[in-house]
Amino acid sequence: MVSLVLILISSLFFVGIIVKVKAKIAARKMPPILQPVYDVIRLFKKGAVYSLTTSVIFKIAPLIYFASALVATLFIPIGSFGAFLSFEGDFVFFAYLMGMGKFMMIVAAMDTGSGFEGMGANRESFYSMLVEPAFFILMGSVALFTNNISFHGLFLNFNVDTNLSYIIGIASIYVLVFITMVENSRMPVDDPKTHLELTMVHEVMVLDNRGFDLALIHVASWLKFSIFGALISNFIIQSSWAVHWQIAAFFGIQVAFSFAVGMLEAFRARNKMEKNPQWILMLSAISVVIFLTVLIITQKIILN
Amino acid sequence: MTYLFIMLYAVTLIYFALSERVKKFVWLLVIQGIILFAIVFFSLNEIELFDFIFILAETILVKSIIVPWFINKVRKRNNLKRTQEVSVPVFYSIIVVVISLVVSFLISNHLNSSHIHTRYFTVSFASVLFGIYFIIIHKNIFSHVVGYLIIENGIFLLSLAVGSEMPMMVNLAILLDVLMGVLVLGVFINRIGDTFESTRIDQLSRLKD
Repeated sequence: MVSLVLILISSLFFVGIIVKVKAKIAARKMPPILQPVYDVIRLFKKGAVYSLTTSVIFKIAPLIYFASALVATLFIPIGSFGAFLSFEGDFVFFAYLMGMGKFMMIVAAMDTGSGFEGMGANRESFYSMLVEPAFFILMGSVALFTNNISFHGLFLNFNVDTNLSYIIGIASIYVLVFITMVENSRMPVDDPKTHLELTMVHEVMVLDNRGFDLALIHVASWLKFSIFGALISNFIIQSSWAVHWQIAAFFGIQVAFSFAVGMLEAFRARNKMEKNPQWILMLSAISVVIFLTVLIITQKIILN
Repeated sequence: MTYLFIMLYAVTLIYFALSERVKKFVWLLVIQGIILFAIVFFSLNEIELFDFIFILAETILVKSIIVPWFINKVRKRNNLKRTQEVSVPVFYSIIVVVISLVVSFLISNHLNSSHIHTRYFTVSFASVLFGIYFIIIHKNIFSHVVGYLIIENGIFLLSLAVGSEMPMMVNLAILLDVLMGVLVLGVFINRIGDTFESTRIDQLSRLKD
């Protein structure tokens, strides 16, 4: 329960910090940290207009997208605080919950019948497909390392004590940061501030959504950021720490992560569109290195 | 600690497959030299001054300063394009490097010989395989030199793997060979660059006496 509340609180200011950092680096006036929240409240007050070509799928897709992100939040533990829901193999369920939300958004984009949105849906599904092996190999390796197959047990038993486990921790954080960027359609893969439909990935998919629906989509993307930030913080926070230190470390890591995302977006150029697949595949390759490391630690591969 | 750097070495191989910029190749060679130094440094049981100086000279001085500096000079002199085209898409190269890593780890697991330190054999075998692949897919002779250096780094690790059988003297000989090879190849690239105003290998097939 505690971890659920912590994730929900951190999701409120996550995007605000990113926007603030980007504004500071571009020497613009910084918006207040809760500006995205005010924007979403304004959107929630508005109604929605639906195109005549759309069907019921388009209307329920934002709701399902939001609900899937919210339910996924229930499975994330933080340090020694347990998750709201937990069962064996819940990280597979987590991945497919996220997948279902994304699937509904893709289907809804196709439903509008617009050429641009179909193109965006095409790209988004391709990138999500490529990033999936990275997530599963990573989580599978950590599961093998800790001998647990639920998020809670997995992170509770993740101790960095030997030199080799450091490389697992660091490489996992690296891979997870960029999985977050791909999942949220952020910088190296997609630029949320791009102005041309032809170069958009996620933004072009939600062109037809407005008002209440758009607000739901925004909130879901905050939640996703916060969820992945919590997963990253679990690799650092040790369950043996005092409770208040764990909470402080969680917020510290979330702030640092959002700061890092802002810096990355301000300084890094977007990949060329055709370079994206190989770049995402690189994440899977690094996950395979993590897997080999785990095989050495657990003596499945015996070297002398 | 050696395992940590062996895994980092494996990661540099993945980045070699991913990167297309010539400048990045040079930087990756520098990083590989430093990682090789760390691997040797942490695998020594007791540190003698002579060994330490020798290893420092071999890895840091030659592999990560002199050779990259020299090939960087060659790169600048020949006005190479920033990116070099490859005949196989990078997407497949990443799959190849992952397969070569997995295969070499599995082979090392099966070797299980008391004469060989299989921990070094893993990445060294992958490095040799990948170096050959790197030479095959690139169309530019500059990249061929880089591939040659990747193979050499793999052979350096192989010499650690069979440390008990291979005296330091042999290692020194290989090092000299490689240094001279790179210098000669650099001059060679410069000559070709001057004559043909390009370093692509398809030009070379038209060479005549």
